Amino acid sequence: MPESCEAAITLTGDLHARPAGSLAVAAAKFDSAVELTVGASRADARSVLAVMGLGATSGQHLTVRAVGPDAREAVTTMIDILAAATPVGG
Amino acid sequence: MSDEAKVGIVLVSHSAALAEGTAEVAGQIGGGTVAIATAGGTDDGCIGTSIAKVRRALGLADAGAGVVILPDLGSSVLTVRALLSEAEDLPESLAVADAPFVEGAVAATVAAAAGGDIKAVLGAAEEARHARKL
Repeated sequence: MPESCEAAITLTGDLHARPAGSLAVAAAKFDSAVELTVGASRADARSVLAVMGLGATSGQHLTVRAVGPDAREAVTTMIDILAAATPVGG
Repeated sequence: MSDEAKVGIVLVSHSAALAEGTAEVAGQIGGGTVAIATAGGTDDGCIGTSIAKVRRALGLADAGAGVVILPDLGSSVLTVRALLSEAEDLPESLAVADAPFVEGAVAATVAAAAGGDIKAVLGAAEEARHARKL
């Protein structure tokens, strides 16, 4: 049965193009499917355009959910990238 | 996967500034690990396209894993097609993406940065047609 893992973070900066790119590049390296949710919007973390299309801004609550053999590592990596994403525009 | 050669990107535009600006944006978002070469404008620097510039860009972008070409509009497509029909001294693996220029370049670059093969990079570029920005 595939492992599933979920974690949430409150964004300290807007989810600009550069962090969206970092997320997508990192997400593609996992076997698990990784999904980001902000409010009613969801995006496949591997799609940089979908991640940018979330329009997620500072202060919003973002949930990362991964399903697959490396779900835990995938979620940890996504949260680390999001936490490191600076409030400075990218 | 990431240690292997990455798929390269060639941006073909009527304008050198448009091609270079798009390459700059895509490179930043993709983390700067992908070879993005541009073929913008005519040989004498006017608005238009140049088969020689596309040929040169293909050579610069090819690291052995293939190249995905993104034309902007109209004659960019014709120029790319004309070059590919010659089929001499070109990278072995080439694909032309039917995709919006900026979004396609960004999506393709990110897919290439993640170690995707030419099919994955082409797919990412073409999926960009369906991405909503609002």
